[in-house]
Amino acid sequence: MGRRKSGRMKPLNLTVSPSPHCHSGARITGVSFSFLLALLPAAVLGVTYYGFDAVRVMGASVASAMLAEALIQSVFRKPITLADGSAAVSGLLLALILPASVPLYVVVVANFAGIIIGKQCFGGLGANPLNPALVGWAIIRITKTWGGFLDFDLMLINYDTGFILQYPLAVLKARGPEALSRFDTLALFLGKQTGGIGASAVICLLLGGLYLVVRGVIRWELPLCFLLGVAAVSGIFWMANKTTYASPLFHLLTGNVMIGAFFLATENGSSPVNRWGLVIFGLGCGTFTVILRAWSIYPDGVVFSCLLMSLFVPMLDKLKAKQIVARPTPLTALSKPAEERTRL
Amino acid sequence: MKLRSFFGILPPKIAYMLAESPVEILDVPEKLTLLCPERTPADLVTKVGDSVITGQDLTRNGKGPFLSTATGQIKAITDLKGPDGHDYVAVTVKADSPDSFDPALKTIEDIPNAGPVELRSAINRAGFYALNAISIDPSLWPPVDVVIVSALDLDPISIANQQTFRDHVEQVEAACQLLSRCTGASRCVLAVPENLSHVAQSVSGSMATVVLVPPVYPNGLPEILARKYGGGLLMRGNEEGVVGNTVVVSVEHAMAMVSCLHSGKPQLEKTITFSSTENGEPKNFRVRIGTPLAHLLHKVGIETQPKDKLILNGIMNGYTCFSNEQPITSTTDSVHLQRASQVFVFQNAPCTNCGKCNTVCPVDLEVNFLGRFSEYGIFDKCLVLGVENCVECGLCAYVCPARRPLVQFIVHAKRAINTEAFRGVSMEEAMASDTQGPIPPAIKLFDASPQENSSNQWAGGKVEE
Repeated sequence: MGRRKSGRMKPLNLTVSPSPHCHSGARITGVSFSFLLALLPAAVLGVTYYGFDAVRVMGASVASAMLAEALIQSVFRKPITLADGSAAVSGLLLALILPASVPLYVVVVANFAGIIIGKQCFGGLGANPLNPALVGWAIIRITKTWGGFLDFDLMLINYDTGFILQYPLAVLKARGPEALSRFDTLALFLGKQTGGIGASAVICLLLGGLYLVVRGVIRWELPLCFLLGVAAVSGIFWMANKTTYASPLFHLLTGNVMIGAFFLATENGSSPVNRWGLVIFGLGCGTFTVILRAWSIYPDGVVFSCLLMSLFVPMLDKLKAKQIVARPTPLTALSKPAEERTRL
Repeated sequence: MKLRSFFGILPPKIAYMLAESPVEILDVPEKLTLLCPERTPADLVTKVGDSVITGQDLTRNGKGPFLSTATGQIKAITDLKGPDGHDYVAVTVKADSPDSFDPALKTIEDIPNAGPVELRSAINRAGFYALNAISIDPSLWPPVDVVIVSALDLDPISIANQQTFRDHVEQVEAACQLLSRCTGASRCVLAVPENLSHVAQSVSGSMATVVLVPPVYPNGLPEILARKYGGGLLMRGNEEGVVGNTVVVSVEHAMAMVSCLHSGKPQLEKTITFSSTENGEPKNFRVRIGTPLAHLLHKVGIETQPKDKLILNGIMNGYTCFSNEQPITSTTDSVHLQRASQVFVFQNAPCTNCGKCNTVCPVDLEVNFLGRFSEYGIFDKCLVLGVENCVECGLCAYVCPARRPLVQFIVHAKRAINTEAFRGVSMEEAMASDTQGPIPPAIKLFDASPQENSSNQWAGGKVEE
């Protein structure tokens, strides 16, 4: 019998690897770059309104987010992943929902809190249960001394932007829907409203968000259901009592709804993946946004509703129908003569 | 192959290459290497120095025949780990004389009146025991609902099977009829890529239903054909059991079966597509089974450089060779040479949970979880998520922005599930058990701590120089 020899086929230093042997070329850096590109129009509009102050906040925010990520990763002795751009996106998103005149130390603290507590403590990109930018914002917002820094009416009082320097949602909260007649719907849509540096640029965010959807960077189900949720629930409130609650259109065009639907809720680690999970997540975010706007002490509820729904993600991930796997039947069951089993 | 749409809400589509290339017949090399799966040298009846003739069965009775494809002398018998990870016995035959066929290969005199078992035995004897993936006694073949004869290629870069369909369309109907008869299937389907509908018009359709399949990967994979056009589940099995109700046979194999019943000759040749990243035009060759790749590369005038990648059966779900002595087998469809500069390198990066893999998966698996569960050795969760349904098409790893080796993770989980720890575990038991349940994690692929993977980059294992 043949002698067993090993290595007859001598290795010719060819490369071997598992399949597939080609790649679409997608990178995490590319995803982050698409996000930055989609946010660029909103950021530019913010700079035209608030000038250097907006640049200052955005620069400090992006820089401190990246610094926080690099620091915590070197402390944890993990590979430093600044190149994937996720920290920069997170920093820019946080800046865009802040008022332009917020002190820089608040920005830095918010970013350090968001990146370290919201993201790196859980294992970094993809493992974060909450959106780091929102964690940073929420921590500042609920503090007693610094919460006022996120109040747009107080912070933006010294600017001359050419439109009404009152935060529409604060006006709604304080004086009810009759006072909203001062706000022109078209002006709100074109971004001529008080708010975060980029969060108020509704049309820019809509275009950027649609760009992300068309490029396939974010799934279309989530923003659509978010906006549907806001429209439906605010519609119910409005139909029930038009003297107390604002119209759905007003809710869609003000506050953080646009940036929330396209950029904040769609963060990968803190949103579900399967379709029904995305639908429920989006509808839930929209619903809680309107409920918080109507009944909480805060004028806007987007950030808290996104954080709240992110906590449901492990449950929403289980919504997918389980796969049926056929296990083999033993060959002994086939011992009947084949002629009896065939149909010919 | 091209990326048809990367834009949009629609998942990216990889179109099959649709090209016409006449088949060039390659001469028989001096030395042929025959690969026999799941056998050891002790299973062979021949030894080094013996003379063999074409069609001679080299094994003892048992798992189905293993035929010599040339007449000559056995130069070496070795066992080796194949590039696909399975164990093989390699028999090297020096083909020094013209083909003389084994008298044991018999034609069937009266094919129209032959019974199914007689037909199956002849097909089994001619080396087509791989028809239903289990090499068992032909009288024990499991019941089949649907037979699909596929004119589609398995991989986007292969054009061999569609060329065979173009060239021999008149024989396809006889092949369909024969396959229906010997398997006892109630339905026979001829799957044709949409662009070849004009060729398929000459098929009358009395023997087989012609379906036009969009030429988009992975529609040509047997599992997908069985799901979309067959009885739902591709037949597969091993010594323990069998599952499925649909058999998928390529046009080339189906025609080889017909010709073996008429002439008694086994399948000696295989049509393959050769392509390389340098000269883009793929070319079809008809080669003797057992031809080493080095012979083919020599004929097309291409030399392998160090760190090149030789890929058999396509760039999406094929496997790479350790050596250019690797022979062409009866299941090889294409050979692709990738230069070292074009080799794609996977990253040992954590999942970002973007869900791209889930949107492209043709069998609707939750690949984002499968990858992570397999990475950390939680195989009972993989079982619950249906990892065994994976068809290994490679689309998930193709689109992954983190460049994770997702197919590798899934195959790893599949193999772990087939180890002793999981034998006989039903889905219900796996669902009932939590991660701390009774099923122990079997193997770990690699230690996930970053110090262990300081290079942070790996491409399977590169062969040591």
